[in-house]
Amino acid sequence: MKKIHIIGIVVIAVALAVIVSTISSSSTYAPFSTALQHSGKTYHVVGKVNLKKEFIYNPEINANVFGFYLIDNEGAEKKVMYNGTKPQDFERSEQIVVVGKMDGDEFHASQVLMKCPSKYNGNAQDQMKTIGSAS
Amino acid sequence: METQYLGEHLGFGQFGNILLIISFVASLLSAFAYLFKVIRKADQDAWLRLGRIAFAFHGVAVIGIVALIYYLIQLHYFEYHYVWQHSSSILPTKYMWACLWEGQEGSFLIWTFWHVVLCSVIRWKGGEWEAPVMLFMMMIQVFLASMLLGLEFGHIKIGSNPFILLRNHESFANLPFIHMPDYLSKIKDGRGLNPLLQNYWMVIHPPTLFLGFASTAIPFAFAMAGLVTGKVKEWVKPALPWAYFSVGILGVGILMGGAWAYEALSFGGFWAWDPVENASLVPWLTMVGAAHVMLINKKNGTSLLSTFILTTVSFVLVLYSTFLTRSGILGETSVHAFTDLGMTGQLILYMVYFLVLSLVLIIYNWKKLKAPEEDEKVSSREFWIFMGMLVLVISAVQITITTSIPVINKMFDTKMAPPADAIDFYNSWQLPLAVVISILIAIGQYFKWRESDMKVVLKKLSLSFIIAIIIAGVFEYIFRFPRFQHVFLLFSSIWAFTSNLDYLIRVIKGKINYSGSSIAHMGIALILLGALISNAEKQVISRNVLNIDLGKDFPNAENILLYQHDTLAMGEYYLSYKGKEKDGVNIYYEIEYFKANHTTGQLEKVFSLKPIVQINERMGNVSEPATAHFFNKDIYTHITYADLDEKPTTEESEEYKKPKEYTIKTGDTLTTSNSLVVYEGLNKTIDKKELFLGDEDLAVGAQFRVIDVNKKNYTTQPVFIIKGTSTFTKESEIKELGLKFAFSKIIPEENKILISIAEKKTNSKEFVIMKAIIFPQINILWTGCILMMLGSFIAVRKRILDLKDN
Repeated sequence: MKKIHIIGIVVIAVALAVIVSTISSSSTYAPFSTALQHSGKTYHVVGKVNLKKEFIYNPEINANVFGFYLIDNEGAEKKVMYNGTKPQDFERSEQIVVVGKMDGDEFHASQVLMKCPSKYNGNAQDQMKTIGSAS
Repeated sequence: METQYLGEHLGFGQFGNILLIISFVASLLSAFAYLFKVIRKADQDAWLRLGRIAFAFHGVAVIGIVALIYYLIQLHYFEYHYVWQHSSSILPTKYMWACLWEGQEGSFLIWTFWHVVLCSVIRWKGGEWEAPVMLFMMMIQVFLASMLLGLEFGHIKIGSNPFILLRNHESFANLPFIHMPDYLSKIKDGRGLNPLLQNYWMVIHPPTLFLGFASTAIPFAFAMAGLVTGKVKEWVKPALPWAYFSVGILGVGILMGGAWAYEALSFGGFWAWDPVENASLVPWLTMVGAAHVMLINKKNGTSLLSTFILTTVSFVLVLYSTFLTRSGILGETSVHAFTDLGMTGQLILYMVYFLVLSLVLIIYNWKKLKAPEEDEKVSSREFWIFMGMLVLVISAVQITITTSIPVINKMFDTKMAPPADAIDFYNSWQLPLAVVISILIAIGQYFKWRESDMKVVLKKLSLSFIIAIIIAGVFEYIFRFPRFQHVFLLFSSIWAFTSNLDYLIRVIKGKINYSGSSIAHMGIALILLGALISNAEKQVISRNVLNIDLGKDFPNAENILLYQHDTLAMGEYYLSYKGKEKDGVNIYYEIEYFKANHTTGQLEKVFSLKPIVQINERMGNVSEPATAHFFNKDIYTHITYADLDEKPTTEESEEYKKPKEYTIKTGDTLTTSNSLVVYEGLNKTIDKKELFLGDEDLAVGAQFRVIDVNKKNYTTQPVFIIKGTSTFTKESEIKELGLKFAFSKIIPEENKILISIAEKKTNSKEFVIMKAIIFPQINILWTGCILMMLGSFIAVRKRILDLKDN
């Protein structure tokens, strides 16, 4: 067997290890109900912030905890406690993703990913808003 | 009758559309002409002439489009959607170029433009390679030009036109006002350039990165030209300077992006393994691999197949990266992905076309490409370079697979999400690979081509090895790295540096022409070393030291509250929040850094930083960090939260805010802006006489214990009264804390009560919540960037000189 073959096998083995490790350490997009069934396991939950309910943020007592209510895509609402400061302009977020796990009836999030109202290219609605305020 | 719109300048757009069509048709014509020049025996000169003329038309048209859009932006002709969307009349001139490439159409345009520039070099300097290389470059231009056509056939949309009028754009066409003849007078200004992009890095980073992207096409076109002409080996030599150029310029473009992120974004670092960053890093890794196997092939004729695979893969990965960032597929996984412009299908077609074309040509030439039987020796330089290439490929595969999780989801309808701690996951793979790469960088050049005497190699390496151990020991003594992998990378990156420096001094003896590779490798070594130290040893000094246990799910205590005029100790500094100042869309928060002078016992101001919160209509409010630079460290300060509401100015204001209502049961805890409030239960033994009540009336107190920030306890008791048929509440107040309590209802069936708490407006003092991080030795990283760039360009120059020698 030539060296190149041995090396080839090693490379393929490493590539397989990459795939396996990616799959095994990947998280899953899931609704609260799934996260509740497997509490203690980390999930990505996609949902909309319930803007009617108040945010829980008392920076003068603890700047590193921010709470809010999130309605997931199945319509279930849970209180989310996020380990961090209240993201700037959180009120304007439309859809968000929280990364974390259920603890009792609360979702403990280590990350909150916000989808801004518009990214580099705004959507039509957003543009109309701007025009409206300009004229 | 058609409406006559007032104040429009339609001529420019019509001219622009003509240029778009010329650019597309001319590139197509040029591609065919060069094709016939390559495959036909007869009339070669005529086809070549036609190819050149068509290319000239294409080039002039593309430059014309760029100039025209820039001109429209300068004139503020907001009847054009692109101008309206990406610029405004108040924008400083220096950022006008940034408007040009803010949108997708503009970024495709700048990419096309760079291809025209690179093609011009091939056109005049390509010699015998002109026709076959231009054939493939023009094919690429056909696809790119089609991205800007903006033609629609039923549901199929080809490209997105940068000259589309505001009133014809899909998001405006159905608005009634846009069809009034004087609609333009209602549009006072454009939407403007995203304030986040109004940064000098955004003026230079995108064009550099796009030049890097464009440059990957040339080695690919050379490789394909080699296959189509049957000169399967000869293409490597003329393509080699292009490959080095691509490595250098793409590397610089990526690092500029990192510098922008470090200065203007709130990642808390220069690299966050964001999908958009990854998408540009991966083609660079494979391009580095390609340049190295091309070098092997030029020296001894082996690794030929790898050169084709890697040049193709690098080019296709650039397309894939465009696809990832432009198709909207990344969705939530990236902070800065573009939204879909409906060109996904076109981008996929583009990728598949070039991938299949390359495969067909490789298979067609298969016999000529078969590797020679001779096995490479372990003591040869080519063997170790080849190993390095394989490690780079593994690194690229790991990043690509993890970044492509959203694509995998789309293809297989799975619901995989990126790893919860993505940065940690990438680092756990990339760090060991970086160790291997840096060791290979350290040893590679000491091997001779084909075969070398191992004893000589080891002897030559020993000096740099020992020096590296000593330096690494000193660093480890200073920093005490948390993980053993860090210590490995510390040593290996230092060795990569010392060994290349040694090679530069003792072997090359400082001859500038031959120094490119040593200098570039020293640069890479410093980039790895700087990234390691500044990341692994970064120190968040804004630790929240309050003793509130948040439980294991809440390890983060990295943000700290700073009241205006208060001073807090952080690390070796004392920080004070002086005040804020508004300038346009930016609010500047002035944070002063003091150090204690041990002889006088006084605090002395060292510097002050002004991090920004930007009121950004388009992205939401954004905070921009401010960084103080020192030769051995950076101090990064970032406002993570600030209350943007105006506060009352007088401290004595007796005004209360609107009370907040709570329904609570015994044992519940509430929070106010300055205290914790615990409801301890009802008190039914209220002295009614004191309240002038009769025996038949009812009075119940609600007992609260209130704990302030300094852990001081207070008690208070609002009273709920029923007198006859009416109810009253007797408020209670804690003056020191500026809190008023009212007890307004009992809900016996739920065993709960309804209360309300009002706070004094002055309770909320002006404050910011901030994060401060020290990045030690980050200048090692930037020095590495400069060395890498310098080394790459010395290598390009050397390879061009080599071509002239023959």
